[in-house]
Amino acid sequence: MNANASRIGPVTWCGIIGSTCLLIFLFQKILWLVVPFLLALLLYYLLAPLSNKLVLSGLSSNLAATLLSGAFLLVVIGALLLIYPRVIANAGEWQSTVMRYLDGGARVVEALLFEMQQNFAFLRKGNLSVELREKTLGYAEQFSDKHLGGAIFTVVAWLPSLLLAPIIAYFLLKDGGTLRKFIAETVPNAYFEKTLYLLHALDKTARQYFVGMFKLTVIDAVFLVFGLWILGVPSPLTLGLIAAVLGWVPYIGPIIGCVLAVMVAATDFPGEISLVYAVVGLFGLLRVLDDFVFVPFVIGKNMSIHPLLTLLMFFVGEAIAGVAGLMLVIPILGIVMVVGETLEIIFRDTRLRARHAYARQLHKRAANADLEMRQH
Amino acid sequence: MLRSLTGKFESPQLATLRSISLFSQIATGELRTIRGLLHHRTYLKDEVIFDEGEEGQAIYFILSGKVLICRQGKPVEGVIAELGVGQCFGEMALLDNAPRMAQVRATENCSLDVLFREDFLRLIQTHSHIASKLSLELARMMGERLRQTVNSYVL
Repeated sequence: MNANASRIGPVTWCGIIGSTCLLIFLFQKILWLVVPFLLALLLYYLLAPLSNKLVLSGLSSNLAATLLSGAFLLVVIGALLLIYPRVIANAGEWQSTVMRYLDGGARVVEALLFEMQQNFAFLRKGNLSVELREKTLGYAEQFSDKHLGGAIFTVVAWLPSLLLAPIIAYFLLKDGGTLRKFIAETVPNAYFEKTLYLLHALDKTARQYFVGMFKLTVIDAVFLVFGLWILGVPSPLTLGLIAAVLGWVPYIGPIIGCVLAVMVAATDFPGEISLVYAVVGLFGLLRVLDDFVFVPFVIGKNMSIHPLLTLLMFFVGEAIAGVAGLMLVIPILGIVMVVGETLEIIFRDTRLRARHAYARQLHKRAANADLEMRQH
Repeated sequence: MLRSLTGKFESPQLATLRSISLFSQIATGELRTIRGLLHHRTYLKDEVIFDEGEEGQAIYFILSGKVLICRQGKPVEGVIAELGVGQCFGEMALLDNAPRMAQVRATENCSLDVLFREDFLRLIQTHSHIASKLSLELARMMGERLRQTVNSYVL
């Protein structure tokens, strides 16, 4: 996309950034539909190669789509049925666990602040360590009353919406080609080939992003699970998976993942501050590897957008739609850039516009042919 | 049995596709797969289908009407060929990204089916059997056109 980006003019850039902001704003209003749709796209791009293999083995595309989407839905329902009883059985321990880890985390921060206060006189006046301790304890005590119910309600409210994802993925697998044909049919002849190319480029960009992000999550998860396991942090599998999935939220996600791991390490190994530093170092190393090795290798350099623009758009996305904006801004920007570039090519191509105008004249003449004959 | 009967039954649309020389060796079931990839377009007489030098993305099959292949903007003195029902043009686009070698205009109202290059490439991956038949027919057709060109120079 970088090579393409150099071809985009300043007016188109303004249009691209404006359209991206507008789309984020609109999507934020229908997040209940956008999130399952994005998950469906991810599922579609992951299942499409399998679907192709099934078609190659002799199944119809309809049957392949039904089998794959059905299998995925069964796996999801099976996993929910497996997890639900365990969640209910352990619900009582949640509050005490959360309080324990929050307390452990606060103790680490308190120790660090205390150390800093010993070295810097201006920090001593603020008495930050005591204030932090009081706030953490207050939060932990009110956790079940204020936040636990809300969190459970949010998960329950999102479940039906999330179950839409395999259904949307099924229709994308089954009717993706028909949808593309339908869109192409609405385009005038002069722009037809360019539109086909645009649809292909959009498909390629989205596939690169979603499949790349999935692979990146798997790589991050493996790296973190092994790293935490080697460091001796408890529950490395759960922590690594949660932190890798949180990585989908740019900037904030990896920090939250790191904080979670630090809280667990600090609580289960109190007084071992070197372990906390090692966990922070592990997450720092992952960040560097992600930026310089994994992302260019897995998502590809084509998908990369200029770092300054990426940073700017993260701020804009966050300002418009919060965490949702942070997550949506880059895939939307990538897709809008492809559309913007293609539209610029079309509108700058005077020959295509002239051909379209001529075709319209021909259509008008054909429609009026018998009327003109009568006039003569 | 029902499947084999329906498998061999050709709808009018499939029969029209069968009339295209490139699809003459393709089985009915395979033709259905190809039909799923084709885009249908209609052009009025004198409408430009594509220009010389334009980036080619697709091959066109003539279902009805006629088209003229000529040098850019020279439909009279720069005529290269006139093609009719069952023939195809723009086939080089399936092979490379090279610009179109000539302009194509509709000389009659025509109805065309279009196969996008990326769909053809996907067909090679998913239905290599169909793609190999198509490629062979395409090679035969291009060989025939080359032979005609050489003969026209010799004569």
